[in-house]
Amino acid sequence: MTGIYLDNAATTPLSQEVADAMAPFLGDRWGNASSVHRRGVAAREAIDRARAQVARSVGASPGRVIFTGSGTEANNLALLGIMRAAGESAKRVLVGPTEHASVRAAAHALGEEGFEIHTGKLDDAGQLDLQELTDAADERVGLAAQMLVSNEFGSIYPTAQVARIVKSKAAHAWVHVDAIQALGKVSLSMLELGADSLALSAHKIHGPQGVGALVLARDVQIRPLVFGGGQENGHRSGTENLPAIVGFGCAAQLANERRAATIELLSAHRQTLRLGLQAIDGLRVLEAADETAQQPGILSLLVPGAPAEVWLHHLDASGVTVSVGSACQASKQEISPVLLAAGLDGKSARQVLRLSIGDQTTNTDIRTTLQVFESIARELAHL
Amino acid sequence: MTTQSSTPSTTQAPEMVLIRYGELALKGKNRPSFENALVRNIRSATKNITKVHVENKRGRLAVFAEERVAELAVRLQDVAGIKTVSPAWGCESTKEAIAEKALLVMREVLREYPVEHNLSFRVRSSRADKSFPLLSTELDRHVADQILPQLGDFRIDLKNADLVLGIEVRPERSYVFVKRLPGPGGLPVGTLGRGMCLISGGIDSPVAAYLSMKRGCQVSFITFHSYPYIGEASKKKVLDLVRQLSRYQPTSRVFVVPFTEIQTTIRDKAPEAYRTVLYRRFMQRLASRLAYRDKCKALITGESLGQVASQTIENITCIEAAAELPVIRPLITYDKEDAIELAEKIGTLQLSNLPEPDCCTVFMPNRPIIHGRVEVCEAAEAEFDVQGLMDRALEGVERYDIESEV
Repeated sequence: MTGIYLDNAATTPLSQEVADAMAPFLGDRWGNASSVHRRGVAAREAIDRARAQVARSVGASPGRVIFTGSGTEANNLALLGIMRAAGESAKRVLVGPTEHASVRAAAHALGEEGFEIHTGKLDDAGQLDLQELTDAADERVGLAAQMLVSNEFGSIYPTAQVARIVKSKAAHAWVHVDAIQALGKVSLSMLELGADSLALSAHKIHGPQGVGALVLARDVQIRPLVFGGGQENGHRSGTENLPAIVGFGCAAQLANERRAATIELLSAHRQTLRLGLQAIDGLRVLEAADETAQQPGILSLLVPGAPAEVWLHHLDASGVTVSVGSACQASKQEISPVLLAAGLDGKSARQVLRLSIGDQTTNTDIRTTLQVFESIARELAHL
Repeated sequence: MTTQSSTPSTTQAPEMVLIRYGELALKGKNRPSFENALVRNIRSATKNITKVHVENKRGRLAVFAEERVAELAVRLQDVAGIKTVSPAWGCESTKEAIAEKALLVMREVLREYPVEHNLSFRVRSSRADKSFPLLSTELDRHVADQILPQLGDFRIDLKNADLVLGIEVRPERSYVFVKRLPGPGGLPVGTLGRGMCLISGGIDSPVAAYLSMKRGCQVSFITFHSYPYIGEASKKKVLDLVRQLSRYQPTSRVFVVPFTEIQTTIRDKAPEAYRTVLYRRFMQRLASRLAYRDKCKALITGESLGQVASQTIENITCIEAAAELPVIRPLITYDKEDAIELAEKIGTLQLSNLPEPDCCTVFMPNRPIIHGRVEVCEAAEAEFDVQGLMDRALEGVERYDIESEV
């Protein structure tokens, strides 16, 4: 499968460096990191190295990195783990308005356990409604979850402000930040983000699928979701996925080292794409109000006429891979608040395409993509 | 999956599965060919479970295996032509061995009736070995006398017993069983020739295919794919449905016909209200052509009277006029909920409910015609090159041969 891949927010190709780093652990350096013989200790060392690499990429202490099976598991572990370990007074969970399903569904599960769940709002400009948050926060809050980068629009949300507001009302509340779409494209310092826990995923940064991490601030307590042999400091039992963890460490280090160059490249591509698409009759690029708060890899687009899925398949047939906005899946009836804030109704929410650029994207890719869009716009014009 | 346990640690596992077939037995001179088809289908249905020996001797079918016999019994409940199956335990052909085994089997079966008391019970023996020293009724009485005192609270009821302990006495070995698990009934797949089912990914067409299989039809499938107006996932959905339906017949052939050019032509040149009817007329024509190629003698559809606009009597008439073979519509009088119930039972409902669009949703008219007229269809089709469209579609046909994964 060749062509132009503009769905990097869904997953990214494994980089050669990462594959090379993983290869020995799929080969003769196999081992169980819990074993005390030399093979086991070597596996343990490799995992610890990866732990340090991931910790460095977000300014955390290595001992507070918990490897999980996915970003979804990291978000679940944060919400369920923190609230189940919190004291009696922690009754309330604040959920950001645009959280990923893995946060919303975990919050829903907490609701079934008796916790009170409050979902925040966006204002008319598509920004977090911080006044609403101020009103909603009180001393019973145990946890607030606020994503850093919207997976739909790429908007960057002010998590530090959220943390200040929440902690001014509830001194013992923790703030969880889903940074899965941010890693490698936004500067990540847990301290600056005001994050007490941070969810990460390897396959969004040219690492392998099947591994994520929850990174905790020094004093956060959590209760595990998986019990057993006590791996990951008792936070996540089960034999570690050695090759994937090694790959994650390598990918996190590379993403961090290359971040400035990646941002520059993606921003340039995004700008070309944005201008080119807007010049095509009927297409409308959806923008957050504030240009500066934008992860440069993601661009959302309103297409005219045919449903976004028809556009997707036409693009796909011409070798350009994109995805449809989450609201386009017929199984999900609800419209994302991000789209509502952008002034879209139920019908136009089904007209949203998401293009996500990667650092393997070339100038030629962008030019070709624009040409393909032009010809498809002509083809689908009279639908 | 099964209420039976084949774990040797809890009890001895059954040794074979006894098979009873219904209508099949009535088919006179055709009987051997029907039986052979059934045996073939049994072998095919069980090949992913374990190696089996199918015995077809003296008017009864039995499936023997070294392991996983209880699982075989459950799997055989899917094989058309089978009326009931019984997992059975074997023993030496002596009255003592039979009574001993009967006690064991009863104890095993009773585990599934936790605290229920006052069950009624009878023994029913049959002797293929007429040299056995006891008559059937004598053996019934002997076994009942031996085991009842050890089982407790039972009463004998010869007419409507809750549990009927069956005993089959044969010279080489005898078999004891209690359960009679229902099969689908009907006729073995393949004994009534081949049919071509038009399948869309919805709920009805897989059910129509299943019902046709159950009546002895080997079903091939044709589906229409309008890439890139609908995606590859829609094609995969149909193939997954056929894979699920392949539980019920040995292999399934699927033809995927490219349909985009036909649909865009109809969109551009025909009256909007007639789009759906005209799509369907092309589908009937294409299905008829592929049916000839695949030696199918009928078309099968999931149509149900009045369910959607294209399924009025007038529209069905318009659509059928383009078919070159008889059209079998197993669901024609079904209510939707009955089709849904059956889809659930045969395991296709969940797949059908996946929200993938099918080609019928492409360029859907705002106000579809309700009472279509054949002349209007024919006049519309006179505006475009029907033969050319057909030829190009048939050139692009992809063929898949799909086997069950269970």
